[in-house]
Amino acid sequence: MRRTFGSVVALDDARLEVARGEVHALVGENGAGKTTLLSILAGHLTPDAGTIEIDGLAIPDRGWTTREAWDRGVGMVHQHFALVPRLTGEENLSLGVRRARGGWALPTDWIRRRVEAIREETGLDVDLRTPVEELSIGERQRLEIMKVLLRDPRILVLDEPTAVLAPSEVDGLLTLLRRLAGEGRAVLLVAHKLDEVLRVADRITVLRNGSTVLESDRSKVTARSVAEAMVGDAEALDTPERTEVRVGDIRARWLGRDDGTDLELRAGEIVGVAGVEGNGQRTLARALSGRELTIDGRVHLPEGVAYIPQDRGREGLIGSFDLTENVALGHHGDPDVRGGPGALFLRWSALTARTREMIHTFGIRTSGSRAAAGSLSGGNQQRLVVARELHGSPKLVVAENPTRGLDVAGARFVHDQLRRLRGADQAPAIVLVSTDLDEVLALSDRIYTLVRGRLTEVPAAERTREGVGARMLEASE
Amino acid sequence: MIRARWWGPFFGIGLALLVTSGALALGGYDVGEALAALWRGAFGSEQAIASFTLKRSVPLLLTGLAVALAFRAGIWNIGAEGQLYAGAVAGFTVGLIGGGLPSFVLVPMVLLASLAAGAAWATLPTLMKLKGGTNEVITTLLLNFVAINLTAWLIQGALQEPRGVYNESAPLPESAHLPILWSGTDLHVGFAVAVVLAVGLWIVFRFTRVGFLVRAIGEGPAAARITGQVRSNRIAAGVFLASGALAGLAGAVQVAGVDLKLYESLSPGWGYTAIAVALLARLNPLAVILTAIFFGALQAGAAGMQRAAGVPFAWVNVIEAIAVLGVLVAAREREAA
Repeated sequence: MRRTFGSVVALDDARLEVARGEVHALVGENGAGKTTLLSILAGHLTPDAGTIEIDGLAIPDRGWTTREAWDRGVGMVHQHFALVPRLTGEENLSLGVRRARGGWALPTDWIRRRVEAIREETGLDVDLRTPVEELSIGERQRLEIMKVLLRDPRILVLDEPTAVLAPSEVDGLLTLLRRLAGEGRAVLLVAHKLDEVLRVADRITVLRNGSTVLESDRSKVTARSVAEAMVGDAEALDTPERTEVRVGDIRARWLGRDDGTDLELRAGEIVGVAGVEGNGQRTLARALSGRELTIDGRVHLPEGVAYIPQDRGREGLIGSFDLTENVALGHHGDPDVRGGPGALFLRWSALTARTREMIHTFGIRTSGSRAAAGSLSGGNQQRLVVARELHGSPKLVVAENPTRGLDVAGARFVHDQLRRLRGADQAPAIVLVSTDLDEVLALSDRIYTLVRGRLTEVPAAERTREGVGARMLEASE
Repeated sequence: MIRARWWGPFFGIGLALLVTSGALALGGYDVGEALAALWRGAFGSEQAIASFTLKRSVPLLLTGLAVALAFRAGIWNIGAEGQLYAGAVAGFTVGLIGGGLPSFVLVPMVLLASLAAGAAWATLPTLMKLKGGTNEVITTLLLNFVAINLTAWLIQGALQEPRGVYNESAPLPESAHLPILWSGTDLHVGFAVAVVLAVGLWIVFRFTRVGFLVRAIGEGPAAARITGQVRSNRIAAGVFLASGALAGLAGAVQVAGVDLKLYESLSPGWGYTAIAVALLARLNPLAVILTAIFFGALQAGAAGMQRAAGVPFAWVNVIEAIAVLGVLVAAREREAA
């Protein structure tokens, strides 16, 4: 399979073979071509060259349409759900059913019978009566899977299904996938969290730079060998040593609650804030970075605060703007990019040069500084955000779940940049607000827990997975 | 997104001419003669170009810029029509009262009054949107009806011509008239003002900081606020008021350049056609010059087409509508994935 976008080669010699009754994992870094391959399979994109065969039935060279893909039994559960928030589960399910099933009325009876049958067969339980907007992410995902199963697909494809789930929900999903495969369907799971993949997959295909580099039974690989295949470089996986801590100069006070809570930051230090989602992370990150102070209280911030938001696609970038414009968005106030009468104009040549340098230095894979930011893969978008935010020696860097949704290399890139920054000459104070406890433990010099808006520093002796984890839960009771 | 791909306008206009020609042929009209008459009426002579096409394009150009400016910032100002009426009434009133002043003082005063009145007419929707989150499509649209009827009430009352017979105002004093731009024709300086404003707006969008920020709050409001730390509300308010001011200017330019009196039906819906003008131009101010002239030419040539080939005037509205539909078809389906 081969597919190019302009001068960017997304797929080149990509192969994928999935058998009935198996859970097959397709893994690869951001930008490796997973999404492109899936889009071709689902009929959203046409390949430049290559073939698809299902049960010996070949698909024409032109690719196929979405409808044809459906008819041949390809059922796709997308990363972004296609559900109508105000409608109930049942109403949403009826949207996917051909009208002929029930004439003009909603095919309610048919859906209930099918849902019940599928539940008995697979254990997949969905809520039919509640409006989708009131369902949790996990419940919505089950509904989306049910929607696809109603059509009785021969191959069920799930694009990054675990990315949106809480750890406790992941197990349930993986069990479900096993049972679905057991019923004689083929299950294709696209993911980049290796441990989950290794727990459930029978076979694994690894894509790198658009090519298939590894195809193997689960039993013949280790986490290490798969990771190496994804990255293509064994040494890069090893974490560098920590640099020493310097004492510094920033003190912020955050009054998220009546009694207030303190956070002490020092230059050249990474302070990790661990907590279960929904305990005030967003407010804390916004307040510390000087964006949208929605809380009462006083935060004394230095000039020049960099912010790496969790939702990079919406808050960190403008997808329809090109790379240069996105760089300008963070830097439109810098004296050296302003010019003309009254400094009213932007010096686009300077901004373009700055963007090209970032592309080069941070290894952003793109067709150039004029490419739309929305056309980059998730990992490359985050590289752009990090490159922009770290430019111009900020005094304080606030990163909010900076590796969420990224693959191994993307996450490593972000971690490397944060560590490098900490060891730099005029190192800023760095705050890492993250719900990923392993990330916090791996990067932080000091750790706070955030529970219902209250920050508590974790003593050095308790900075272990168990110690911090217990504090996160204990305090919430 | 509402902005089309670059070839959208060409596709739209081509499609419009094709469909219209086909429909006219089916209806038994002489298509060649109809299009030739349309062309002659719009561009056949100096008079056709200046006194008809360009003159008619002026209010469309100014309101088109007003719409393009607002839409670029993600502000759906549907109220150019009402803002145009507000500007026309204010400009006329200043011209009437200041009749004794010399032209070089009075004309700028008339134009400034219309800018202020247009902005004033957009003030309530601006405040309601930014303070209370009220959808500006509804508020601006409703205020159009208020402006139109308020104008009618003034013309039947306070501003009615002295004898009180006709539903029109007294004539505008001569010192308030806009000078003629192209001697021997009716084309007034309002055209030059509008073109300068279009070029200026293009420069603002393309090269200036504030223009960049306006585009940013339109294309990615959350990123502009969070990453750019842009004070979105201030910029949005400025854009909304400036949009109203441009539409208001269109009203005064029409009254002081063409009508020279205040009529109840002073606009045939320019404020709405402006939306089509702006969309056909992909919200690009320079392209608005061309699309406004295109629409002006259709209006100018329609009379000739009706006379020579018997094609009803309404057909140019069909052409306009299909052209815009063509552009919307060519709109980006999604932000690049």
